[in-house]
Amino acid sequence: MRWRDIVDPAILLLLLAVMWEKAVAIFGIKQYLLPPLSQVLDTLWQNRTMILQQSWITTGEILIGYFWAVVGGILIGLAIFAWPTMRRTVYPLIVLFQGLPKVALAPLFVVWFGYGLTSKVLMAFLFAFFPVVVSTLGGLAGTPEHLVEHFRAIRASPMTAFLRLRIPAALPSIMDGCKTAMPLAVIGAIVGEFVGAENGLGHLILAANANARTDLLFAALIAISVLAGMLYLVVELAAKRIWWRAL
Amino acid sequence: MVAGAVSVRQVSKTFGGAQPLHALQGVSFEVPPGQFVSVLGPSGCGKSTLLRIVAGLIAPDGGGAVEVMGHAQSAPSDDVGVVFQTHNMLPWLTVEQNIRLAAEVRRLPAKDIDARVEKLLPVLRLDRFRKHHPHQLSGGMRQRAALGQILVLLPQVLLLDEPFGALDALTRDQLNIELLRLWQDLRKTVLLITHSIAEAVFLSDRVLVMSDRPGRIIEEVAVDLPRPRDPQVTKEDPEFTRYVVHLQKLMGVT
Repeated sequence: MRWRDIVDPAILLLLLAVMWEKAVAIFGIKQYLLPPLSQVLDTLWQNRTMILQQSWITTGEILIGYFWAVVGGILIGLAIFAWPTMRRTVYPLIVLFQGLPKVALAPLFVVWFGYGLTSKVLMAFLFAFFPVVVSTLGGLAGTPEHLVEHFRAIRASPMTAFLRLRIPAALPSIMDGCKTAMPLAVIGAIVGEFVGAENGLGHLILAANANARTDLLFAALIAISVLAGMLYLVVELAAKRIWWRAL
Repeated sequence: MVAGAVSVRQVSKTFGGAQPLHALQGVSFEVPPGQFVSVLGPSGCGKSTLLRIVAGLIAPDGGGAVEVMGHAQSAPSDDVGVVFQTHNMLPWLTVEQNIRLAAEVRRLPAKDIDARVEKLLPVLRLDRFRKHHPHQLSGGMRQRAALGQILVLLPQVLLLDEPFGALDALTRDQLNIELLRLWQDLRKTVLLITHSIAEAVFLSDRVLVMSDRPGRIIEEVAVDLPRPRDPQVTKEDPEFTRYVVHLQKLMGVT
């Protein structure tokens, strides 16, 4: 990472921050509509302990949901690829399910699992799961035919070809799916919290809104975007280990 | 007569489907052990299909038979190594790991694999690049490594499907010289698929000329040029030109 990779976006961010601050003053925007940035940052600082606690809860929901989405997505993807029966039965079901607006399921999960952790983890999982399955399948199927034939020519068993050829060949695509899935897991957890929760950043946004605390709402939004950004960065750093692309 | 290292008898191949494709028609030939034979033909004449059949990767139509080193070749065997035009290096492995791969897949003892790889790397002039990954190599080095990927199994018969076809002319000539040197050192039987007349004459003991689809062998030309061959000397030889012109006529190039 070159220094301009950090400085350039920082300048843009600073510019936008100044515009925000000035616009509120110049146009005399009411505080409950859009508080000045300085006040948002002040609120963020005053409530840092509480916001960190709420962020921690949301992070837990995201990470557990994401973990199972990645593990489950890869395993299901492998199984669908390896067994034609799974492709005929399970895969269409997953695609069909994917078409459902997952937001609509959130109230149901609250009814089933209550206001606690489980319903949010499930939402994060549902949002993140599908891209992992699709990218796993795509990667496995996209293994170049000439390499598959080469493995046949050296008399590799199907299992060996799977482990030493198809899976490593699919890894770049799988990592792409994992990258796509990360922000989706964040959305899933927040949506889960919106629908029914006693804790978490999503719940904080609702509570702030109900009390006309727009400054606190924005503070929570900043916390979410910082959290989402950091989580994505971690996945991207992990993905860098899979450096091969062109097959 | 000594049994051929490769013996192909009455091999035909039709690919099914709505519009069946008649790729090969009654192809027969023998390659004695240690000979270098080229199959020369226009593109789309079924010569790659022929090679895949000899490799045991696809089955010929009923009635045809392929034997390699005296055994029916109905599936890939360790007697035969195939090198294709697109190299088969795995991008996530180093040159050394790529060369080891086939031997590891065949579950050879690690000590044997070590010994073979140590012998191969200098022969292929890759010892300085053993820790490199394929994308760090030139096209020529990649094809040499691809040869190593196959030679590590010590096959008696090498099947080469235009292995240097994707390279520039200069690199290709260079690799052909190295291929000849390798062949002379290792005394393998080679069956080379090519559409380059000059390449076939320069390398081979015998050239099998194939017709357009459905591919048949229309003539066998024994190339009686002295060995070891040298690109300068051999290609200046009037005999070389005579062979090239003869093959050009057969293939309808004028």
